[in-house]
Amino acid sequence: MALCRADDPLVMSALILTPGEWAIVGLSLQVSGCAMLAALPVAFALAWLLARVEFPGKVLVDALVHLPLVLPPVVVGWVLLMAFAPTGPLGALLERMLGITLLFRWTGAALAAAVMALPLMVRSIRLSIEAIDPRLEQAARTLGAGWLNSFATITLPLARPGVLAALVLGFARSLGEFGATITFVSNIPGQTATLPLAIYAALQVPGQETAVWRLALVSVVLSLGALVMSERLMAQARGAPRGAGGTAHDV
Amino acid sequence: MGSLSFRLWATRLRALLPCRGAFLAVGVTLLLWASAGPAMAGPAPQPGAGPLVLAAASLQESLNAAADAWARHHHARPVLAFAASSTLARQIAAGGAADLFASADQEWMDSLAQTGRIVPGTRAGWLAGALVIIAPAGSRLRLRPVPGFPLVAALHGGRLAMADPDSVPAGRYGREALQHMRVWDALSGQIARAENVRAALALVARGAAPLGVVYATDALAEPKVRMIGVFPAGSHTPIIYALARTTASTHPDAEAFRRFLLSDEAAAIFRRYGFVPRR
Repeated sequence: MALCRADDPLVMSALILTPGEWAIVGLSLQVSGCAMLAALPVAFALAWLLARVEFPGKVLVDALVHLPLVLPPVVVGWVLLMAFAPTGPLGALLERMLGITLLFRWTGAALAAAVMALPLMVRSIRLSIEAIDPRLEQAARTLGAGWLNSFATITLPLARPGVLAALVLGFARSLGEFGATITFVSNIPGQTATLPLAIYAALQVPGQETAVWRLALVSVVLSLGALVMSERLMAQARGAPRGAGGTAHDV
Repeated sequence: MGSLSFRLWATRLRALLPCRGAFLAVGVTLLLWASAGPAMAGPAPQPGAGPLVLAAASLQESLNAAADAWARHHHARPVLAFAASSTLARQIAAGGAADLFASADQEWMDSLAQTGRIVPGTRAGWLAGALVIIAPAGSRLRLRPVPGFPLVAALHGGRLAMADPDSVPAGRYGREALQHMRVWDALSGQIARAENVRAALALVARGAAPLGVVYATDALAEPKVRMIGVFPAGSHTPIIYALARTTASTHPDAEAFRRFLLSDEAAAIFRRYGFVPRR
């Protein structure tokens, strides 16, 4: 214990991040946070579709959603580069219609992170939607609630634990994203050089072990925090599947 | 009628205390989505930043030093992005708006030249590299790479660390040199293939391999290893780093920084890191 006294000036200086390190951490949080905000509506729509709707080609959609989970990340990054680069079909469209460039920008890093996190998010939300008794929604409809109303008052609240877990899990996955990011949007300081890329760059330079250790420690702390939170939310969802029963009763 | 049902809906929303967070989240998301468009449309990433230079990972220390020197001349410091030359070249080929590209081999520069992604007159075979044999710093060994030199015996059953000869340029040059010296065939099964040349360097620095083949620049950067022999230039394809300005370049400082990298002042910096500047 004496080894890690908080008032020891040496320990304190070792624990305090430099402005450069803060910038990397801030960028990582910004990229992952925006990736989650962008991915959530898409993940929820896909999860709902896969959980509740039968349609031809469902197996194919399911497989496509899971592709980023099983493909090598560099392949995902390369596909994104082909599609979203200024010469790619989607990239050219975005540039012409909205003036948006993703290549070499943090928004591109967020897109890569969102795509890589999507399968995990869809899985988590889908499980929680499948656990909702469809008769609750039907009951709401028979009581005069419209589709949107029953969705907002029954489906969404009951799927909340899954949605929260998806956010936290997706966030943790985004923080660790490396292969797709460096292949798609390069390793630009202040734009796309997130924690894993900064660690990779430091690893290329002999004698940078301290920098590597510090950044690695930061990413361990961030990821562990996110994972512990996700586990707690999952346990909450499992332990009280009817936890929002009072809500359903209201209708 | 419409407003009544809306009010009913809103009341119900408010009644659902436990899920207010969820609605808040959805609302915030929609708001952010709506505002994301204009935010992403912003042109320059950082106002006042220097030109964007995409460079081979092996240039990390030396190019950073050169950029610092350039910044000391009261210019905005260039933004340097380091990755594998192949990765960067693909991004430029896809239309990425970088200003300068510094490649560790000529092939990628050739492919960009063919597709018109670099300005022809700005291309330069800029730096030359040397290939060396290294051992841990404590080693007393001396090995002069001449045809048939006793490399296998010097390994004492250990492995020779080098970048993957099938996919990494440093490994490809290494195999050529070892084949030229007629020791490659005897080495079979005694190569520790690393995913890049710096990983091979680390294997020797950590004592996991008794010997390694890396660039002179790598050997100079790592105090835990010692250069014990240099491969003669004729034993492998010349190792040339190429520099060029891209056609997509828009930064007013791009050309000036490119010229600076070719100047005597920059040459002195790159020489210090083990490169041989070419004129």
